[in-house]
Amino acid sequence: MTTEKSDSSPMDKIWDFFTSIKLAIFTLIVLAVASIFGTIVEQNLPLEKYREIYEDWAFELLLRLNMFDMYHSWWFLLLLVLFTVNLTCCTVDRFPRAWKTVRNPRTKMDEGHEKALPHVERWRKKGTVEEWVPRYTVALSALFAKPLVSEEAGEVHLYAERGTASRFGVYVTHVSIIIIFLGAIVGNVLGFKGFVGIPEGDSVSRVPVRGGARLQDLGFDVRCNRFVVEMYPTGQPKAYISDLSVIEGGREVLRKKDVVVNDPLRYKGVWFYQSSYGEAGGAVARIQVIGPDGSPQGALSLPPNHPVPIPGYGVLRGVNYDQNFQGKGPALEVVVEKPGASPAGFWLFQRNPDLDRARKDSLAFAFGGLAPRMYTGLQVSRDPGVNVVWLGCALMVVGIIMAFFLSHQRVWLRLSPGTDGRVTVVLGGAANRNRLAFEKAFEKIQAGAKAVGE
Amino acid sequence: MSNVLLFNLTTVLLGVASALYLGALYAKNEKIAVYGTWICALAGVSSTAALGVRWYESYQMGIGRIPVTNLYESLVFFAWSMILIYLAVERKYGSRTFGAFVLPIAFFTMVFAVTNDSSIQPLVPALQSYWLHAHVITCFVGYAAFAVSAGVAVMYLLKVRQEDAKVSQGIVGLLPSGKALDDLVYRAIIWGFPFLTAGIITGAAWANYAWGTYWSWDPKETWSLIVWLVYAVYLHARITRGWHGKRTAILSIVGFLATLFCYLGVNLVLSGLHSYGGG
Repeated sequence: MTTEKSDSSPMDKIWDFFTSIKLAIFTLIVLAVASIFGTIVEQNLPLEKYREIYEDWAFELLLRLNMFDMYHSWWFLLLLVLFTVNLTCCTVDRFPRAWKTVRNPRTKMDEGHEKALPHVERWRKKGTVEEWVPRYTVALSALFAKPLVSEEAGEVHLYAERGTASRFGVYVTHVSIIIIFLGAIVGNVLGFKGFVGIPEGDSVSRVPVRGGARLQDLGFDVRCNRFVVEMYPTGQPKAYISDLSVIEGGREVLRKKDVVVNDPLRYKGVWFYQSSYGEAGGAVARIQVIGPDGSPQGALSLPPNHPVPIPGYGVLRGVNYDQNFQGKGPALEVVVEKPGASPAGFWLFQRNPDLDRARKDSLAFAFGGLAPRMYTGLQVSRDPGVNVVWLGCALMVVGIIMAFFLSHQRVWLRLSPGTDGRVTVVLGGAANRNRLAFEKAFEKIQAGAKAVGE
Repeated sequence: MSNVLLFNLTTVLLGVASALYLGALYAKNEKIAVYGTWICALAGVSSTAALGVRWYESYQMGIGRIPVTNLYESLVFFAWSMILIYLAVERKYGSRTFGAFVLPIAFFTMVFAVTNDSSIQPLVPALQSYWLHAHVITCFVGYAAFAVSAGVAVMYLLKVRQEDAKVSQGIVGLLPSGKALDDLVYRAIIWGFPFLTAGIITGAAWANYAWGTYWSWDPKETWSLIVWLVYAVYLHARITRGWHGKRTAILSIVGFLATLFCYLGVNLVLSGLHSYGGG
């Protein structure tokens, strides 16, 4: 091997470069240092902000180095590519050796190998090799693992191993990183992220995509029926709640009344995350929907003159508000339009919420007063790569545990005939990890093996 | 607020235990360190009780949540993890000298904790998630393992300086052999590394449920990656390049400093989504 190195071809030199651990350590350090700069220079602010923060020369320098959007700069992406190529080459270079170690194990312990082993013990037994082979096969199975038996030049070799998976932990970990990167690329290419604000009563079918002027067509409508903020008695926010409906082909196909932070609405691979809120301007009428038996069926926000559909019932519209209608206090005039019937208009009184049940309709309404009209702010995203990323993450944890906590333990036993009607037994052992733990395990195996037949 | 009293008691006990361990080293008297172990175990009991009581008290207040949601709670949880890991190490390695190097870290963590607001606050919407438990527990167990590794790395550096000078008397003479310390630094890191990895992953999963982005290069996320990279360098240097001793010990101390900055520095110095402690 050493003689080949001197006249290695340029291709070999390139391969050596990309498979070196030095490069891996170098890349990891450069990535870490670059990331530190990325957290010191605040990312993605408007350019004017940076002009305020930095001196002119520093501003120019940082701008040239793409430091204001570092994680998307060509040089940072190039670093990630270098990292991935290094990782791939290392894996391709080393994996076959690990595979060979496991698939074609050294099943015989000759004298040279014996000297290289960290643990070796020898003793003698009365009898012949033939009569001791079955005994040691059984004993080793019980003490450690079922051995492979082979014969060579009158000597019999037993070989047993445990924890071969330990050899592959590092490759599982490395491949998991590549899988995570693939998932991220899939998400970036095929998915989108955006933000949309929907005022109560309104719906959207297109979402402006982040970082571009493009509008993403969802293929369905999302309507905000209502938005509520709940507070703790201390005044801190307790919950932001959006009541959202998905409408497809004019029909409500899904309704989720409490879309909150940490519990998004999901439909056809698109996720809607509760993210912000605000006042949309104007006022809405708060309406409680009541069943025929007086049970509450939900709440609506009626913007002025804005039809709000109620599934399986019809369309409700608030048409008029009076602060003191006929001396009976605040009241709202609404119109109900049902399919195949002419519109019906009537008044709802805030002070008499049960009055509407007198209509004997399938649903009754109670007017809860006027409130400012809110809008809900939703992060919208579709990421077809996210499950690939999770697969990679799971593999990474499994791989790390395999790499550090499993150990490939191997035990050899050689039986050779002696001259005086005795058999020489040599026991050897080695482990690739947790050597201290194996030392104790080996002592037990050795004690057990010595005691065989006694 | 009996939980705060119990945490204050824990702080005092940790201070006494640290003093006893240091005293045992100084006086070269193993007996003093035995008392240190008892006091340390007592601190473990009182901080466990304090966490339980605080959890229960939060339910009584109608808030009801695991006590790991602000700077005070995260510090006391960090100290609690260190006490438990330390006691496990002491038991497994049968040496009480580690106490002098690890317990002061837990003590100062508690001292810093008691200077912070200890009231039980309700959870803001973003923190209302089951991911909170998995994320915080994995992260802090990882941090605590790294704290132990850094403490032992300091012991290692002191020990090898003496071994190089071929002297074996003095305080340092009581420390376990350099080889054993070097091995323990590594062992603590291979426990911390999977926990940190799981902590980053559960954080990413949580971010995905809360905001729709599993990775957004927020300073906290980036610093957790930096910490992960430092320990990845340590593991590759040690396992593949065969680095041992001083260089890896220094790397593990650098790793813990990065961990501390990721935990506290980011919140106090940089801005981002993990705003506890920042203001």
